[in-house]
Amino acid sequence: MSESTTDKIKYGLLKTIDISGFKVFDPVVRLLFGEEPTKQAVDIVKYLVTPIVFVLLCMALWTVIAPRHKTKSGEVPTPTEVWAAAVVNDTLNEREDEKETDFALSGEGREDAIMEVSAALIIKEAESVELKSDLLQIEKDVKAEITGKIAPLQEAYDRLSQKNRMIKAERETNIHSLAEGVASKKAASADLLQAIRDDKAATEAGRDAEKLIKEEINEVRNNPPKALKNAQLASNAVANEAGHLSKRLDYLKTGNRSLKVTEAEDKTVAALQKLEDASTPAAVLAAAKLVVGGEETAERIAEQRYPRTATIWFQVKRSLFTVFIGFIMAAVIAIPVGIMCGLNKVVMACLTPIISIFKPVSPVVWLLIFQIVVGAFFPDPENHPLFTFFASLPLVGGLGINPALVFSACTVAICAVWPALVNTALGVSSIDQDHMNVARVLRLSLWSRLFKIIIPSSLPLVFAGLRISLGVGWMVLIAAEALSSSDGLGKFVWDEYQNGSSHSFANIIFACFVVGIIGFFLDRIMILLQRSVSFDDGAAVV
Amino acid sequence: MTTPALEIDSVNVGFGPVSSRTEILANINLTVQQNEFAAIIGFSGSGKSTLMNLLAGIQQPDTGEVRMHGRVVTEPGPERGILFQNYSLLPWLTVFGNIELAVRQVFPKMTRAERKDHIQHYIAMVSLTGSEWKNPGELSGGMRQRLSLARTLSMRPDVLLLDEPLSALDALTRANLQDEIIRIWEEDRRTVVMITNDVDEAVLMADRIIALTPGPKATLGESFPVTLERPRDRTTLNFNPEFKTLRNKVTRYMTEINQEAKQLRKAANVTLPDLSPYDFTAV
Repeated sequence: MSESTTDKIKYGLLKTIDISGFKVFDPVVRLLFGEEPTKQAVDIVKYLVTPIVFVLLCMALWTVIAPRHKTKSGEVPTPTEVWAAAVVNDTLNEREDEKETDFALSGEGREDAIMEVSAALIIKEAESVELKSDLLQIEKDVKAEITGKIAPLQEAYDRLSQKNRMIKAERETNIHSLAEGVASKKAASADLLQAIRDDKAATEAGRDAEKLIKEEINEVRNNPPKALKNAQLASNAVANEAGHLSKRLDYLKTGNRSLKVTEAEDKTVAALQKLEDASTPAAVLAAAKLVVGGEETAERIAEQRYPRTATIWFQVKRSLFTVFIGFIMAAVIAIPVGIMCGLNKVVMACLTPIISIFKPVSPVVWLLIFQIVVGAFFPDPENHPLFTFFASLPLVGGLGINPALVFSACTVAICAVWPALVNTALGVSSIDQDHMNVARVLRLSLWSRLFKIIIPSSLPLVFAGLRISLGVGWMVLIAAEALSSSDGLGKFVWDEYQNGSSHSFANIIFACFVVGIIGFFLDRIMILLQRSVSFDDGAAVV
Repeated sequence: MTTPALEIDSVNVGFGPVSSRTEILANINLTVQQNEFAAIIGFSGSGKSTLMNLLAGIQQPDTGEVRMHGRVVTEPGPERGILFQNYSLLPWLTVFGNIELAVRQVFPKMTRAERKDHIQHYIAMVSLTGSEWKNPGELSGGMRQRLSLARTLSMRPDVLLLDEPLSALDALTRANLQDEIIRIWEEDRRTVVMITNDVDEAVLMADRIIALTPGPKATLGESFPVTLERPRDRTTLNFNPEFKTLRNKVTRYMTEINQEAKQLRKAANVTLPDLSPYDFTAV
């Protein structure tokens, strides 16, 4: 390769990472091309290694601190637990995929799948039985161990409480005799009062000592050895897998779509036969109706989809689709209105009160308003042409587009519209007077002025606004979904919160990372767009 | 005698409300003949750019009128090509695109091939061939002003208005572009009004130099015809006695009117109290 080709590739790469906002990798590329290795190495250590080390330190801190905080939903999950939750969620999604395929399989493919799954199921079941017996054994051992550990403690406890009771009785007799002494003026009342005070303190101390041992016993009881927990997890995992395989068999055998279709078709054939055999008009009519009904049933079944459970990746897709719709709505409103505001001061004056009042309104309020308003448009959403149309589309059909999605998207739109609108207006109104003079000298028409001077010159600010809008939209959407139980990442989080199983907390934190990472990439895409329309090479704020 | 290319007829321009009005230009009268190269020379802040905006039609006079070939100028247009001081290029268009925007607008009937030739012709005229697809951001100051010049010339204006076109450039680039403008003008003569603050530049380029007195209430002062033979060579010009005389004359005049203006301004000041220093050491 010649010198210049290498350079071309190098600078091409450098430009790409610069435009896509990953400038931290700049020294890595330069180092790969052998440019000033020491300088690059220093830069890599400074701006790449140090941040990575810092993040790792944060993770370590998290790992240490998290288990120390006990909540109603268990301990705060550590990074490992969150990762495990991620894996579990991904597995759930895979299983849904498998079941979906199984549901739709027919003919030889189905036969093969049945063979395969049955074989796997037999193995898993055997494994499960084995693990269960192992688990039983371990449980027995652990129980014995715990009992063994508790026995001396219990004994000590019993002894202590016995002793405490005896001492207490002694003190009581003492107090009684003192009381008699005071009554007969043989003893001072101060002594009696002191004795009562001492008794109270001693009782308290005794109780505390007992409590300490009790706590120790509870500690032993509630913290079975890790081995038990691991065995339980292993056994559960295999049992889960076996359960999944038997579910798959269900979808391959009884619940299979092609089978159901054949069944319906058989019924139709039988009805046809009946129609031929029928001799009375009534019987003919009944048989004919059966035939038609059977045909319809077969058709309907053939079009059935597998009823997927909402997994995290499904929720991600739906959230992305919703935010996209909302964002497009916001852009379609904000850009033309913003241009009008920027061009005409009267329009700006008219819209300023509306913008100023509605901009600070909380997304939650908008959500409730749109929930009511949008709901009224779709009294029968199941059969509304808009939704049946969406359901028939290839890619988004499976997302289950419903009024909830529409009002979530509307909420996103209304919250995202303001930054884009204000920035567009600013971009248009701050257009360079020299550029307008050029337009005047050339006697450009209004449209040419708009499309050749005004819009191109304000595009960088418009895109800066759109970028803020998308960020706002994504944040708003998650909150809106959580509140309205519209399917999406927000609902995933909300469901986990309500569900309260041992994995919920880890799942919520996992979702938090998913939301963050997607938000990050959305922002990067917008930076890319912004850079591509920037003519002044002004570095977009990264 | 034919109608002059450009006429400014007793024009006044000011701003502010009637009660506290500031006159920028007062009673301006100027006639520029067809194919004449007129240079208006003035100090900064004397309303040079306002005068140029009037000629271009970007701004309207408060009283009086500006006429081009006898017709009153009411709006800017491509027949009066103006070269702005700060280039006014559209940064999102390439060199080619910037010129194309103008050409498309002024000659809408050109075919695609004709238009391309036309644009290439003007790009070559200002020696920018090879930079067609660069953005203005990638050009140097001199190249930007060349591009701006090419864009203005590509509209084939009857009158060329140069608004301190070279004042933002360094001395060498400036000399270079002066030569270029002169070369282009000599190849294809037309009426030019140039505004400048550089006496040498004016003497080198123009047929006639008109002084603009310092503002406020700036007006046109004495006019100096430049009879130096063309083509004028800047290297030998410095030794030309006629050049030297003219340059000194203009410079002296400009200094004088500036001083007058300063004195006028001083006269308007508050009279100072009658104080004199007292010598304490003499006691």
